[in-house]
Amino acid sequence: MLGYRVPYLRYPNISVYILNDQSTKSNTIGCLIIDDDPFIQDLLMDKLQQYFPEIKVLGKAMDGKQGLAKIASLDPDLVFLDVEMSDMTGFEMLSQLNTIGFKIIFITSYKHYAIKAIRFNALDYLLKPFDLEELKNAVKRYKETESPSTNLVLHNLKAQNAKDQTMILRTQQGELYIPLKDIVSIQGERNYSYINLVKDKKELVSKTLRSLEDLLEEKGFFRCHKSFIVSKNHIVSVRRSSIILSDMTEIPISRRKQDQFKKWQEE
Amino acid sequence: MNTEGQMTYIDLKNLKAISRDDTTRMHKYLVQFEQLIPERTHELEKALTNQNRLRIRQILHKMSPQLQFFGIQNIMVPIQRLEFEYETMSLLELEQLVKEIIVRLQGALSEVSEYIRLHFE
Repeated sequence: MLGYRVPYLRYPNISVYILNDQSTKSNTIGCLIIDDDPFIQDLLMDKLQQYFPEIKVLGKAMDGKQGLAKIASLDPDLVFLDVEMSDMTGFEMLSQLNTIGFKIIFITSYKHYAIKAIRFNALDYLLKPFDLEELKNAVKRYKETESPSTNLVLHNLKAQNAKDQTMILRTQQGELYIPLKDIVSIQGERNYSYINLVKDKKELVSKTLRSLEDLLEEKGFFRCHKSFIVSKNHIVSVRRSSIILSDMTEIPISRRKQDQFKKWQEE
Repeated sequence: MNTEGQMTYIDLKNLKAISRDDTTRMHKYLVQFEQLIPERTHELEKALTNQNRLRIRQILHKMSPQLQFFGIQNIMVPIQRLEFEYETMSLLELEQLVKEIIVRLQGALSEVSEYIRLHFE
């Protein structure tokens, strides 16, 4: 194991792995490209060689199986990983690992359904055939992010139920890890949202309610009102046009959402 | 290529940018196009004969970055329609769109081959 386990301060019941970062190896970033298209492999390799002398391409893999073998043998710092490969998806490949000691930039041909999962885990992605500015920004974010969240991503991929997953949000202060089971409700305030947690905790994040609704869709959350999202796990009782939650707050259900809410509750 | 020697299907702007006057690199991408496109066109025809909608989508999905890179813009609209509507589109329309894509691929391919012949042989 390349790292050590520490409790995450904000949520002491979460432990994360702090991985030995690349500074202990050298200033060169060793990367691996996993994509089943030789054109994409060549194009990305050429762009990296031309514009990022600090990145060394350690190897290339054509599919998930080969990717797993190369990760084990090359120990990369960064992996460019195709969302959709011939033998498995990028997420399926990652879930076969016991630990993730590298950072990931997903690569995809278009705004795929997997983008939602990528965003939920605060991961990066690039659209093929790679705009240079986007590539520069992704590499910059790679260098600036000191987060050990990749193992939380693994935890999310392996979680059987959505409620066992942890949402990872990028904030100006760093990354915020919020276990879905702790979210009672979310209140939108223009470009910000208050995430109301158990034990009267609250987080203010610079995300719109719409973007959070998108991330939490099919994970036991429902937008019952233009300003509120509620968690199914925390509904204590339902009145004609409002919901009582476990923190004893009363959240309105907008009239046009009432039928949809009933259906969602029965699911 | 038209009578004045201008390309009508492909645009080599991206290729020239990545090659930065390195003719070996430019040649590599052109040859790769010449090799991959007939292979994938054949797979596309086979999938169309078998009416295998999912396979059609997969092949197009894989091809599209290379086609974008070679500037075959007028091919992207039918590809995107097929990628998103491959399950629901009528078979007749699906066939028409795939055939339209194949015609453009063949046009692009002959331009690439001609470019290789003129500049690298």
